Amino acid sequence: MKLSIHSLSKKYSGNLWGLLDFNLELKPGVLGLLGPNGAGKSTLMRILATVTRPSSGSIHWNDLDILSSPDPLRTVLGYLPQDFGVYPHLTAYEFLEYLAAVKGLDGSAARRRIEELLAVVNLSDARHRPLGGFSGGMRQRVGIAQALLNDPQLLIVDEPTAGLDPEERVRFRNLLSELSGERMVILSTHIVSDVEAVATDIAILSHGRLLSHASPEALLASVSGKVWEVLVPSADLPALQQGHLVSSVAHRSDGVHARVVADSAPLPNASPLDPSLEDAYLAAIAAGRATPAGAAA
Amino acid sequence: MSGASVVLAAARADFLERVRRYSFLFTLGLALYFGYMATVGRLTLRVGDSRGIYNSAWIGALLAVVGSTFISLAGFYFVKNTLQRDTETRVGEILAATPISRFAYILGKFASNFAVLASMIGVLALSSIVMQLVSGEDMHIHLWKLLSPFLLLSIPAMAVIAALALVFETIPFLRGGFGNVAYFFLWTAILIVPVVTNSSIYDLSGLFLLRQSIIASHAAPMAENSFSLSLDAGQFKAASTFRWEGIPWTGEILFSRLFLCVVALLLCVLAALLFDRFDPARGYRTLRAATIPLIPLPASTPEATPAVRTKLAPLDTLSLRFRFPAVLAAEVRLMVKGQRWWWYAIAAGLLLAQALIPKAEARGLVLAFAWIWPVLLWSSMGVREMRHQTYQVLFAVPHPMARQLPAVWLAGVLLAAVTGSGFAFRLLLEKNLPGLFAWAVGAFFIPTAALCLGVWSSSSKPFEVLYTLLWYIGPMHALPVFDFMGSAPATSATRYPLVYCALTAILFVMAVAGRKRQLLL
Repeated sequence: MKLSIHSLSKKYSGNLWGLLDFNLELKPGVLGLLGPNGAGKSTLMRILATVTRPSSGSIHWNDLDILSSPDPLRTVLGYLPQDFGVYPHLTAYEFLEYLAAVKGLDGSAARRRIEELLAVVNLSDARHRPLGGFSGGMRQRVGIAQALLNDPQLLIVDEPTAGLDPEERVRFRNLLSELSGERMVILSTHIVSDVEAVATDIAILSHGRLLSHASPEALLASVSGKVWEVLVPSADLPALQQGHLVSSVAHRSDGVHARVVADSAPLPNASPLDPSLEDAYLAAIAAGRATPAGAAA
Repeated sequence: MSGASVVLAAARADFLERVRRYSFLFTLGLALYFGYMATVGRLTLRVGDSRGIYNSAWIGALLAVVGSTFISLAGFYFVKNTLQRDTETRVGEILAATPISRFAYILGKFASNFAVLASMIGVLALSSIVMQLVSGEDMHIHLWKLLSPFLLLSIPAMAVIAALALVFETIPFLRGGFGNVAYFFLWTAILIVPVVTNSSIYDLSGLFLLRQSIIASHAAPMAENSFSLSLDAGQFKAASTFRWEGIPWTGEILFSRLFLCVVALLLCVLAALLFDRFDPARGYRTLRAATIPLIPLPASTPEATPAVRTKLAPLDTLSLRFRFPAVLAAEVRLMVKGQRWWWYAIAAGLLLAQALIPKAEARGLVLAFAWIWPVLLWSSMGVREMRHQTYQVLFAVPHPMARQLPAVWLAGVLLAAVTGSGFAFRLLLEKNLPGLFAWAVGAFFIPTAALCLGVWSSSSKPFEVLYTLLWYIGPMHALPVFDFMGSAPATSATRYPLVYCALTAILFVMAVAGRKRQLLL
């Protein structure tokens, strides 16, 4: 199972580039897509889900060009878009039944699968309630269920945990970990802790370009020995933020404890810290910003 | 910020949002089109077989009543979406949390609606100058005579339409498709009222006032009912012309036009009182929630239930077997779900009436009603995926063109076939095969037109408006050329069923092309 993306670009009207010369090779596992707003994550996911066509470039699923023949990929695809909608007058069960039919699931198999998925997303008790009365989190769980209807080999989920409560988030992460064994999962999110929990690979995007594609360990290693804690008076914080990459701050009685990513100790009183994925992500984005990208999001 | 500034700021933002959309160009284009049609003599004001000489007074009056008549129909549908847009974009919720009063907000929206409609009238007014010069019958441009009808006939009418659109948007059951259909009938009623009451005070379009003015001037010999505003396929050749110097703007006339401005203001007040301020606990959202039967949650709600399982059994590859009937059944359910019991009761009553009424003409009329009744179900065809944001999921399934689109289309055809089956049953009994063919063409034509318009416009409004218009001038008046459903007994003997059959095929191809375009976006 292999997904290859070569020189992929997407140009929107007004000379805006959603993606620019994007390259990536994927194998089974969970790929966490990270990037600031407008980085091109959703554009990439829509293109991979065959919903949007790129301006140039190619995508191959197991050596098959999905731009010229998308249906083989669609057969094994599960997709949860960011702005997922439902039909308000259908019940959760009816809605999943409808999508199962469109995806080509056999009647009895579809019914079994729907029951199973409703249990997995914890909506069995609400299966006969119209979707119009569902909360945002419950709708999102219906979205997760529909993406898994056809037991996809490629699962693309865009901000899947948005609107979920902490318990459901953990539950979804566990489900993703369990699913990832023999399939490919692409997970886009702003929540670094979600990626940290499940991703076997992380891709960082900014301004439509790929800044980094590495394992979480490799990303952490890239900032190893570069994360510091410094104590500064509140009044000095703006100056510190001006000159350094500050990943977090905590106001305490003795002053501000700031977490700084820097090649060398930013202040004489700086003490080294173990790096987190968030530090690595911020460092990659800052490095990308320093390099002229030539593309706009 | 003062109240007036708030209103102006709301109006300005809304107006700018509108004029930066391509649809605004379409609106101006429509106004220009009316101007062009008048210039080439296809949109005429007739007095018997005569018309006025194309001087400033005649051209100004002609284009002004064209504006207040046709733009009061098309323009209404164009502006009736300002509150809806704020709901959809969620800007409304932000505005609701600001100190802006309901009246100031509605007044701002009214000003924006009015500005859009007035700009269409402005385009017509400018084109009237060109029209007079192009016609060349009277090269002397008298600005007051040319422009005063726009100012005093069209502009007050546009104020009423701008406010009426807001009232429709604030009344829950008029907000959607039903309101679109209902307005068409209201519009026809508005045009008739001054004739019935013989009073210019209710004369929104100004047509009645114009007629009275021409009679009073004795400029043209005028018989009863000889005065008409017509849109013709060919150029109108007047038997004679006469010189008319315009409407004398008497105090009485000015009062009647001022009265319309007061009506507009009162409608704004009504809209402000009805406006739910985007509160989900009021108005439309409450009504919608009431239509959805709420099943009480168990004591332990799904959110609170601890994790039960996260393991999924693998799906057998043999389970992936596409079944078109399953998709069709799902699409039919999707189409009819959510209707109240009385909707089905009326549809069933109309169906029985088609089968039981002995007189063919009356039966045809019942078929016409049976096929206007599901208009809001058909109008969601091709639109539903966009409206409910399910398109990304549906377009990412295998063979979306071959699987889902035909199912949507056939579901619409089935709906037509079932709701009109009483009529077909009688034709079968009578062995009236040409009639049955005309009926079948109608059963295919309606959903195909709905799908095509829905796919291309991503809105149910164009079908609702155009279909109602066609239904009104065709089947309701038993006019074979527009009788797309073969409801009039005479239609089946004409070539029109074949014409509509060909048109259906073209519309289907266009619908497929439209969906293909959506898939490639």
